[in-house]
Amino acid sequence: MRRLNQDAVIAILLLVASGILFWSTFSIRVPDYGVLSPSTWPRIIILSLSVLSIIYLLQSLKESESESNAGQSVADRPPGFAGWVVYWKNPIICFSLFFLFLLTLPILGSLIGGVLFVFSLMSALGGLAPRDIALHAMMALITIGGMWTIFTYGLGVILPTGVIFSPF
Amino acid sequence: MIIDNILAAVHELATIHTVLLMMVGVAGGLIAGAIPGFTIAMAVVLTLPFTFGMPPAQGLATMVSVLVGGLSGGLMAGILTGIPGTPSSVATTFDGFPMARAGKPGLALGIGVWSSFFGGIISAVLLMTLAPQLARIGLEFQPWDYFMLVMFALTITASLAGKNLVKGLIAGAVGLLVRTVGEDEAVGMARLDFGIDSLLQGFDFIAVLIGLFAFSQLLHDVRDPKAARKSLSERSTMHVRIEHLAAIREIAKHWGVLIRSSLIGVFTGILPGAGGSIANILAYDQAKKTSKRPEKFGTGIPEGIIAPESSNNAVEGGALMTMMALGIPGDVTAAVMLGALLVHDVVPSPSFIAEEPVLAYSIFIAFFVATFMMLGLQSLMLRVFVLVTRIRMYMLAAIILGFCGIGVYAINNVELDLWTLLWFGILGFVMRHYGFPLAPMILGVVLGNIAELNLARCMAITDDLLPFVTRPWALFFLIIALFSAGFPVYQAHMGKKKWTLFYLPVACFAASVPLFMMGGVPRSMLAAAVFAYGAYTLWQRATSGWRLHPPGAA
Repeated sequence: MRRLNQDAVIAILLLVASGILFWSTFSIRVPDYGVLSPSTWPRIIILSLSVLSIIYLLQSLKESESESNAGQSVADRPPGFAGWVVYWKNPIICFSLFFLFLLTLPILGSLIGGVLFVFSLMSALGGLAPRDIALHAMMALITIGGMWTIFTYGLGVILPTGVIFSPF
Repeated sequence: MIIDNILAAVHELATIHTVLLMMVGVAGGLIAGAIPGFTIAMAVVLTLPFTFGMPPAQGLATMVSVLVGGLSGGLMAGILTGIPGTPSSVATTFDGFPMARAGKPGLALGIGVWSSFFGGIISAVLLMTLAPQLARIGLEFQPWDYFMLVMFALTITASLAGKNLVKGLIAGAVGLLVRTVGEDEAVGMARLDFGIDSLLQGFDFIAVLIGLFAFSQLLHDVRDPKAARKSLSERSTMHVRIEHLAAIREIAKHWGVLIRSSLIGVFTGILPGAGGSIANILAYDQAKKTSKRPEKFGTGIPEGIIAPESSNNAVEGGALMTMMALGIPGDVTAAVMLGALLVHDVVPSPSFIAEEPVLAYSIFIAFFVATFMMLGLQSLMLRVFVLVTRIRMYMLAAIILGFCGIGVYAINNVELDLWTLLWFGILGFVMRHYGFPLAPMILGVVLGNIAELNLARCMAITDDLLPFVTRPWALFFLIIALFSAGFPVYQAHMGKKKWTLFYLPVACFAASVPLFMMGGVPRSMLAAAVFAYGAYTLWQRATSGWRLHPPGAA
């Protein structure tokens, strides 16, 4: 049996997601008032999505694995899971650090959290040479500090202060 | 009345604060547009959080300024480095870069700047004159027509945005679905929230936009560690003076190219989904086809710069026209503008210009004034551009991600929006990687509730579905939606299959039917013209013996 190409896998995932979402529309409460039931529009979209996913699946099954156009060229990607991690290292770092920034936001606040996020992201992506670290720290302070000042004092937006340095 | 509105709008904008913000906006747009990988949509999206605290006219004027600056910024990178700053300036590099390399960078920049200026002015004039007329037509629309218009906007965006129509349609459907999460607007029932309380309020539209567009783009830009550590341009010095007078003289010699390309830009902008990335190539192609020296294109001739630069600046006038007159964004940047209006509790619709004339005319005037500012600031920004190009990509990405974090929080002061940003950033990144276009998804998010509300109105009036095919406007949009959905298939088989010979004539015949149904002299004449064009094309093909001409063949 031929291996499924990436397009086919995505199409199947979309069909599964459509199934779950369609099933969840049955838990939407239908009120006695209103003409269009709240579940009608999501169901129309989900059914359309399912039909499109089936077409997509058929299309991808027609194509041979070599002709698959899913994904951009990853010819330079090393094999295996380790290779996958190496290839996607930078986006993974960005996501992880942003995730950490969000987790620590209630504690560090937007100013300290933001500066730390930008500094650590720059250092993780750009290197840890002493000169680079100094440059990254300076840029993170100036840019995030500037942005924080504009929002807080210029636009009157109350950004999260955190619990460490609440005087800010 | 129009004069009163213009004066009121000028009064609204003529404050030092607003003018300064507009200048900063144009300058920022010029730089953002000049940075390869940093799209205009991203620049406009990132400006949005700054405008929340401003009055609507001031905030929108600032965003329009960023937009106008961004449209012109791409030419600096395209001409001086050969790398287009934005997809809207791809064709500018075809002749701009060779001209710069031939020792005339100042002239190439001058032609680009002045073409952008004239394209913008032509577009602004058409925006001011045609948008109110288009809105008058929009007032005829009933819910069935509106619903079909949204469907048309989604299908044409899907068919133009990517190579694979099905992927585009899937992206559009996902966008529509995203908008259904949370309490529905009609009766307030919780939907697709999976019992998670925080999802009851739904996903914030702006957080979704920034996540899908800016976040995912930045991750894409830093994917390659080597490229991420490189400066945007290796050139450390660039001493160029823009040759204004010589450029104006060149443009005056080719005014026909300028007018035609600007009109192509405006028309492309009016079409939902077709933005500057299509217009600049289309205008360049037309300029080449109609030129007396087509073989010279690509060697550094003025027409090769005039065509793309005037058309890409003219696009936004068209896109804003559809957005302001019908409430349907012409492209992603117009979708962001629509989001900005919604943030200020202004809902664009055919009655928008009539009900909010000062705000509408403020947008017109801002577009006009920003075009002049762009002209003045271009020389100054050229120096800043050289400095900015020394920044490494990873630094820029980290700073912008930090900005995204703070900016998105500022929208509603809700932490959930930051999580929305992250999840949609991941989704956008994955979609980009697997070749799903993001424009249909963004339009789906923007137009989702408009479609649903109009469907609900239709059902409230009658549960009969016939008006979707018997009302002229609804039928018109249905027909062009079907033909635009079939367009990629037609394009793929053009010159290879016999049926493609009938595609255009049949489309013309079909589109003329609802136009005839609308009645009235001008529309009947238009219908007759469309029908006649279809008949002429058919006759031409019949006389040539139904011969297939492969694309590109003479």
